[in-house]
Amino acid sequence: MLSRRKFLGAAGGVAGATAVGGGAWAALIRDSVEESTSAPTTTTAGPATTTTSTTTHPPTSLPAGNRVLVLVQMAGGNDGLNALVPASGLYRDARPTLAIPESELVVLADTDFSLHPSLEPLSRWWNLGSLAAVEGVGIPLQSRSHFKSMDTWWSGVAGAVSTTGWLGRWLDATLTGDPDPLRAIALGGGAPALVSEQSLATVIRSPQAFQLQTTPGTDSEALIQAFLSTASPLDADPYLARAQQAIPTTVESVELISQVFSDSSDDSSDTGRNTEMLFRSAASIIDLGLGTQVITIGVDGYDTHADQTSRQANLLADLSTGIAAFMEQIEADGHADEVTLMTTSEFGRRVVENGSGGTDHGQGGVQFVMGPSVNGRAVHGELDLTELADGDVRTTVDERSIYAEVLDWLGGPTDEILDGAYDRIGVLAA
Amino acid sequence: MDTRSEIAWLARRAGWGLAPGELDDLTAQGTTSVLDGMTSPDLNGVTASVSPWADFVFIRDPDNAGEQGLEALSLWLENLATTQRPFEDALSWFWHDHFAVSASVVKDLHTMIQHLDLLRTESMGNFREMVRKVTVDAAMLVFLDGATSTGASPNENYGRELQELYTLGIGNYTEQDVRAAAIALTGYVVRRRDGWKVQFVRNRHDDTPQTFLGVSGVHDVDTVVDAALDHPAVPGFIAAKMARFFLGDVSSAVIDDLAALFSAESLEIRPLARAILEAGVAGESSPVVLAPLPWLVQAVKATGADIEPQLAVTILRHMGQMPGQPPNVAGYPGAAAWLSSSTTALRFSASGVLAGRTPEGAPTLQAAAESRWDDLADLLVRPEGFSQSTIDALSDLSQSAGLRPGESHLALALASPDLLIA
Repeated sequence: MLSRRKFLGAAGGVAGATAVGGGAWAALIRDSVEESTSAPTTTTAGPATTTTSTTTHPPTSLPAGNRVLVLVQMAGGNDGLNALVPASGLYRDARPTLAIPESELVVLADTDFSLHPSLEPLSRWWNLGSLAAVEGVGIPLQSRSHFKSMDTWWSGVAGAVSTTGWLGRWLDATLTGDPDPLRAIALGGGAPALVSEQSLATVIRSPQAFQLQTTPGTDSEALIQAFLSTASPLDADPYLARAQQAIPTTVESVELISQVFSDSSDDSSDTGRNTEMLFRSAASIIDLGLGTQVITIGVDGYDTHADQTSRQANLLADLSTGIAAFMEQIEADGHADEVTLMTTSEFGRRVVENGSGGTDHGQGGVQFVMGPSVNGRAVHGELDLTELADGDVRTTVDERSIYAEVLDWLGGPTDEILDGAYDRIGVLAA
Repeated sequence: MDTRSEIAWLARRAGWGLAPGELDDLTAQGTTSVLDGMTSPDLNGVTASVSPWADFVFIRDPDNAGEQGLEALSLWLENLATTQRPFEDALSWFWHDHFAVSASVVKDLHTMIQHLDLLRTESMGNFREMVRKVTVDAAMLVFLDGATSTGASPNENYGRELQELYTLGIGNYTEQDVRAAAIALTGYVVRRRDGWKVQFVRNRHDDTPQTFLGVSGVHDVDTVVDAALDHPAVPGFIAAKMARFFLGDVSSAVIDDLAALFSAESLEIRPLARAILEAGVAGESSPVVLAPLPWLVQAVKATGADIEPQLAVTILRHMGQMPGQPPNVAGYPGAAAWLSSSTTALRFSASGVLAGRTPEGAPTLQAAAESRWDDLADLLVRPEGFSQSTIDALSDLSQSAGLRPGESHLALALASPDLLIA
């Protein structure tokens, strides 16, 4: 059993140092993000790790049978029509070069849809009834801009600025005791959906390098302790204080979870292996039993304006291989009953292909939801290619309906978090 | 701020650090003279601008692509650590972040290098001309699919980002403007078999006059660029982005003044950049979190650490900031990413490597070995000294903690929160 707070003794001074205004930090993070993305709305980088600092108290005790949400973010705007392929002639008319040949499709019995051949590894869970797809998802007032649309999806707030993410608000609403940075973990990049006002999250962009290494001849323990000491007491300057606060959180996270990132020889230029490693890491983190309730996994590259056939095939193959490895691992570890996994992407793509062998930004998209509570073996929502919105698939399911079902499953207060009561459409069993 | 602090501020924000002795020399020159040298190097006797890849022998051979890429990156990093024109490099980096063209999409090293050279050449020139050149630059045509956009089937990727990310910002254009720009910009191809040469092919172009951003008769690159750059949102959008890059949180009054200046100067970048640095020297700035590349460059400059290219690349990749490969079209992420657990862990590990590679007799290593913390901070371009927490941590760490005297202390100083903030 791991000693949870092994390193934190030296950083004890950090606890209680609550003078640092979180507002200043939220502003800093927001502005820095705006500077780099020019996105005018919500925070688009990692979670604001808070005002209240890391603590020396024992972690919040969590009930047995802890539920874990795994949120897979497919950045770039996944082309839903080629992922969940409709049996409509209009689809083939609109996509003379991009339509998936019928002979390659993975037919989903009793539906009007098939899976992209690269998603074949997921068919096992479809057949078991623990995989569902949702068609026509989006959020009203989302945009064809990547950044504005991602902001809308991350915040769950349409047409207005929000400084928190939908899962960050859940973390805050269900926070008991001191915030625990391992309650929410973002793998493979920042996770703005986790941005909160009071809670903590751990962002691990490059798991294989998530270690505190020292050079030969160094007293590692002494140097790590000294590194922790630079974090306390917190400086009066809020900017410096924020840089200090990242240190104890990091040392603790490395101590507790770097063991699951054992593949140190991994070459991160191999995106397929990298994606699979993120999913395997997520499964291992769940098995550590550290009270982690939300894990986000960031995968990128879905902005297929050109050369879509091969690019999307590779991306979806990496994704399905990763998800299958994850599912098999949590089944073997006995955690399959605790986990819901869902994919998101900021928009679907235009119905008609462009001249570059790709598709431009569109509206309604497709998502997949997996887990024991899923009403699986079904495509929820609807697709009507005879009635488009400005050349795009219409948004017929407000994504916040899906958020609502997931939050209900995690244990609300859902409507408060989403600032409204969204219809549950039955993707998850009530 | 006294002169030494002003120079140190300029060096941290706009020059990515200094080598030992340089802070003394520059302080003796005075702030105005240093600003002149930074913003108008040609008029102030600074060594002429040279591309980091001036002597690079490019061979288009797939078997050697990895090696060539590493060599090119190595030349880039070496230039950053030794440049006589640090502000030109910092601005070139700002533009690389702004246009965010990635070698992983362009997939041709020579084309990518030409793009980066274009950004360097234009870094303090006229923004309108820069956008015009970037629009038909081979790397950009490949990056945002202009090279496959035809009149029969226009690709909207560049037409959108030109407005959203490069010139106007969201809210200043409509979906109709995106389509109009896409149509008017059709017809360019990149001839991969002919050295990736850019060519305009008339029968791939739709010359139908479009109404774009309220301007009628827009039909080609020049008319698109002029309509976009004539838009009143441009000066404020660019001035705000550049000001926040160098100054951090800054008041809207300062941004308004900078935008007015940029507009009055017909979108000339040099006076805008100069005014931004002057505002910072006058105290109009907040602390900023250093991204991995400037953090690494300042450490290499101050320590003289001998880091082989492969190691530097590994550090930067895992810290999340590969030069030439912004993660997406919005460029590199902001402060929160650099405060993440991942980047913090890597910063610690990399600091140990940097200290271990610092040559014997280096002033930073000596100061660390002799527990001269104020001198060490000054050598690391923090003449105001370290924070009390860092001083205490340095003082409490045993001198026997490292292989050589001072080595662990130097590592700790490099990893400290103080060095992450500029």
